[in-house]
Amino acid sequence: MAEAIIKTRQAQKEVNGNPTEVVCTEFSNYIFVVLTQYGKIGTLISVTPDSRSNDISTPTFSTKVLLGKDEPLTHVCAKNLATFISQEAGNRPILLGLALMDSSIDTIKEIKELIKSCQVW
Amino acid sequence: MTEVVNGSDFGGITVHDFSEKILEQVVHFHVMKLDGGFFLWVGSAPVLSNLAVSMSSKYDLMPLSTLVMGDPSNTAANSLAQRLGKKLQDDFSFKNLKNQDLRCLSENRLKGPQFCSAPRSSSAPPPPVAAL
Repeated sequence: MAEAIIKTRQAQKEVNGNPTEVVCTEFSNYIFVVLTQYGKIGTLISVTPDSRSNDISTPTFSTKVLLGKDEPLTHVCAKNLATFISQEAGNRPILLGLALMDSSIDTIKEIKELIKSCQVW
Repeated sequence: MTEVVNGSDFGGITVHDFSEKILEQVVHFHVMKLDGGFFLWVGSAPVLSNLAVSMSSKYDLMPLSTLVMGDPSNTAANSLAQRLGKKLQDDFSFKNLKNQDLRCLSENRLKGPQFCSAPRSSSAPPPPVAAL
């Protein structure tokens, strides 16, 4: 069989007592990241880097909930988790599937480390 | 068909990649098996263009389907998700093929026995897709 055209890596770890799975998939125009404690995609968020007027300003990102609960905390978590991926992946937009049992800062920090362990970009 | 309640037999996300030469063109398939659903991507280049979600409903014979990302004028992702949703309970689907014949043949490949048996782990009882 031919080699897969898209690169995928996955990892799992218990975070704050909850089994957490991360699956990262690299597309040429998107990085698709699933972060789940339910085994489901959950809320689907698109995180896109804004075009910058000059390089001095700090990069900003726009978040859009494509599917699921559109609440402020979803946007905060999505930006916090996806910003570093986008920057490391050459400012590519991120498609994020988020299904977390708790959104505490400690959980987010630990999940970020888990994402780093399955880097595909 | 035995009903599988979400979460009861879920052994973690599994990913399956396969490809097939259809009409002299290599078409790639990427399936992510989730708890109670699938994420599916089909394409001949590693681009993510259209994303549609489909879910079966007790009020309608055909599953409900909606495009959440991409070009709304391209109904291919939407209709594929809907038709596969009917077969596979519920499903996330990407479609990235322009040729109509290629799309039909790719869909047939997904409905074939190889696809139906691929996401099944040897120990777990067959998920609803086995009812095909």
